[in-house]
Amino acid sequence: MKDYDVAVVGGGLLGSSFGYGLSARGARTLVLDEGDNAIRTALGNFGLVWVQGKGLGMPEYAQWSLKASAEWSGFADRLRQETGIDTCFHRPGGFNLCLDDDELATNLELLSSLRREAGDGGYDYEVIDAAELKRLIPIVGDLAGGTYCPHDGHCNPLLLLRALHAGFSANGGEYRPRSHVNQVKSCSDGGFLLLSKNGDALGAAHKVVIAAGHGSPDLGRQVGLDITTHPDQGQVLVTERVQPMLEYPTNYVRQTDDGTFLLGPSTRDVGFDLSTESGTLRDIARRCTRAFPLLKNLRVQRSWAALRIMTPDGFPTYQQSDTHPGAFSFSCHSGVTLAANHALLTPDWILSGSIPREYDVFHPKRFDVQKNAAGH
Amino acid sequence: MKADVVVVGAGPAGMSAAMVLSGAGASVYVVDEQPAPGGQIYRAIERPGNVARYGEDYAAGADIVGKFRGTDIEVCYETSVWDIEGGASPRVGLANPGRAQLVDTRHIILATGAMERALPFPGWTLPGVMGVGAAQILLKESGLVPEGRVVIAGTGPLALLYARQMVEAGSKPECVLDTGSAGVPVGLWWHLARALATDAGALFKGLAWVRELRNAGVRRMCNVRSLRAFGTDRLEAVEYTHNGTVHRVEADTLLIHDGVVPNTHLALAAGCEHRWNELQCCWTPLVDENGATTRTGISIAGDGAGIAGAEAAACRGRIAAHHVARLLGLIDERQCRLGYAADCRRLSRIRVLREFLDRQYRPASATGTPHDDTEICRCEEVTAGQIREVAALGCMGPNQGKAFTRCGMGPCMGRQCGDTVSQILAEYHHLPVADIGHYRIRPPVRPITVGQLADLE
Amino acid sequence: MFKRTQPVTDPVTIYFEDRDIVAQRGEPVAAALLAAGVHVFRTSPLSNSPRAPLCMIGNCFECLLEIDGESNRQACRARVQDGMRVRKQQGVRALEENDEG
Repeated sequence: MKDYDVAVVGGGLLGSSFGYGLSARGARTLVLDEGDNAIRTALGNFGLVWVQGKGLGMPEYAQWSLKASAEWSGFADRLRQETGIDTCFHRPGGFNLCLDDDELATNLELLSSLRREAGDGGYDYEVIDAAELKRLIPIVGDLAGGTYCPHDGHCNPLLLLRALHAGFSANGGEYRPRSHVNQVKSCSDGGFLLLSKNGDALGAAHKVVIAAGHGSPDLGRQVGLDITTHPDQGQVLVTERVQPMLEYPTNYVRQTDDGTFLLGPSTRDVGFDLSTESGTLRDIARRCTRAFPLLKNLRVQRSWAALRIMTPDGFPTYQQSDTHPGAFSFSCHSGVTLAANHALLTPDWILSGSIPREYDVFHPKRFDVQKNAAGH
Repeated sequence: MKADVVVVGAGPAGMSAAMVLSGAGASVYVVDEQPAPGGQIYRAIERPGNVARYGEDYAAGADIVGKFRGTDIEVCYETSVWDIEGGASPRVGLANPGRAQLVDTRHIILATGAMERALPFPGWTLPGVMGVGAAQILLKESGLVPEGRVVIAGTGPLALLYARQMVEAGSKPECVLDTGSAGVPVGLWWHLARALATDAGALFKGLAWVRELRNAGVRRMCNVRSLRAFGTDRLEAVEYTHNGTVHRVEADTLLIHDGVVPNTHLALAAGCEHRWNELQCCWTPLVDENGATTRTGISIAGDGAGIAGAEAAACRGRIAAHHVARLLGLIDERQCRLGYAADCRRLSRIRVLREFLDRQYRPASATGTPHDDTEICRCEEVTAGQIREVAALGCMGPNQGKAFTRCGMGPCMGRQCGDTVSQILAEYHHLPVADIGHYRIRPPVRPITVGQLADLE
Repeated sequence: MFKRTQPVTDPVTIYFEDRDIVAQRGEPVAAALLAAGVHVFRTSPLSNSPRAPLCMIGNCFECLLEIDGESNRQACRARVQDGMRVRKQQGVRALEENDEG
């Protein structure tokens, strides 16, 4: 008899969503997390709950994101009722702003491809011309136009993490920080033992879920799970607080419930470097002031960098181990959007012992297929 | 814009460093936020009449400022440094109200000095509560002195010095509430003896201040605890505990002081390693005897490297500058060692006095952390109790705490709350502060606008 | 409450809310206001609590004021100039259309 039904390695957005959902179902759950100085991608999110533009080449991912968006409102209500924490979820729909005609053309092509791939299922978006954009968002600059999707929204990702932790704790889950898992061992009598670098036992459970962000590949290897991810650095600027001016989240800029503006996005391949770089910050500032000239006089209060967990094709990888039954791994870079699914649906897969067939598309064996296909 | 060395700060450390480097043939830029040199310790020293008014320690600064003015070193006044990038090609981000720019350089010397240690207690955010150092700046800049019912609270030589300056300027504090002990505890007599042997003058000066205050009729209480400030829109009264009894005094102004700590934000943003100083209860950059940090291309001199006072700042400025001059190939090893030998000797003496002062004037946080109801983060109005709440949820350090409560996310970027938060979490989790860690600081370290950032080349 | 111990030798006039204040050219705006008996500089964005200068070295961000139309300027770092228009910083700043750069 193991101490826990499920041990989750990682207390970020995935790990704490799973932990919250598992504990809500009465499973004895342990979440093992690192300390304050860890990479913690969970603390570096823009906060979008986004559907628009996702899933080219994998319509199931588009559907998965849509499902998450649909669940989010109820999810936010539930978290607020259970923990008293308001995750500030709003879904007025979101805009992909296009600074110039090239951007607009690329965006329209992407969305019409997605609509084609969705087939009878349909794919919701509206093309917004420059004049209409100005009417809907008066503070926007002179842009080529944009696209609007009613399923897009945003939240406070830090309060989301806090609410998940609080809910997990209230459900009787056990959270252990400063417990870096170095080894996952199968036990002869079933289940798994988790060990630190020194060989200290950190916990034992019938099932183990690896949701350790950049730490997942090393752990997955030990239990027959092939996890391939690489870090993609994004930087964000945060301004001082301002009176509410921007109701809609956009791909470049959103205004938070605190009144601050978040400016992004960016992508850099710098390994595991978490330092910001003035050139990137400058480029973000340039693009965002084109989108919203009003931002020019706002003070930048701080910046930060985070390392997205990118799979080879950018889509989630979900899998269970064939060689070590009861071991699961989940990796993705959309932990905010998918939090609703990860908290409300995924725990059932874990407890039942297998991921439903309909989600086979998220299995990383698709990369073997892609690799083989590329070889022809 | 390029220079061999950028010196951040035109206080005693910065001025000394710049003059040595300029003398060795380096091109030097000095950057300072004030419109004139002197830093905070010699602030407004060129204002007519100041040199004669505010004591001999202050007056000593006129000499170095005069020498500095006499050089042709290029200085950017009223300019902030918002970013530091170390490494093989160091860069400094500068900003004044007009524009922001990046300066390429070969080496950076941070001489950003110190700030007053935060002393949080219930009611400390009320208008009318300000730092003793702040009041001293008002005196030096504009000749202002607080009038009405003024209470001074806290500990440290500056509080005594300022009380005396107030009296000389014609205003008398209601009382001085010293959170420190009355005499020198037996356990410190050995340190005291050593300090007397090296710098008796400094200690007798302090005693003289105490005597002058007594002669002026200023009440001074020691071993004061549990400060609380009351008022609706501004300060109206101060409560404190003395000898087990709670006292209340009506007040218009409460000047607080709990010693000074290094200004570490630029060094933190640059990725320099820091250590927790147990004695001074603050994070201090890790530097070697030459002022070199753990980041290539960045040195720190003066109080910014660890509190030691103005004279030590000048010594460390010169030592760091000689080291950098040698790194840049402007002087050789022998010239370097000769150049700073005298300063090294002076520093050893100053260190002995420091060892006594650090132990005699322990900060309030050494004896305990603030009550739950005390606002720790003034910017985001987060209380000590709210920090303890998220500690209970498993937050092990200030960065997770920041994420869950916004503590440290406001405009001051954790300058006022950083040390306190680390101590609260350490106490809650029964871990050393060194294990808890400090805020991750990112640029901009001083505010710049989105537009200024966009206009960077 | 602060009083001047030396006279103003280079007087200029600045405007705070509906008051004229005589100040010393080039002194910190915070000093000029404190000398004129101003107690409250701003109200905090979260709870509208009254705030005033704490540190005077640009580290506390409590002395924020609106100076010549620009919000959230640190009064300890701004220097008095003739004709300066100063207002309290009430809570969160607004962003006007004419703020466009």
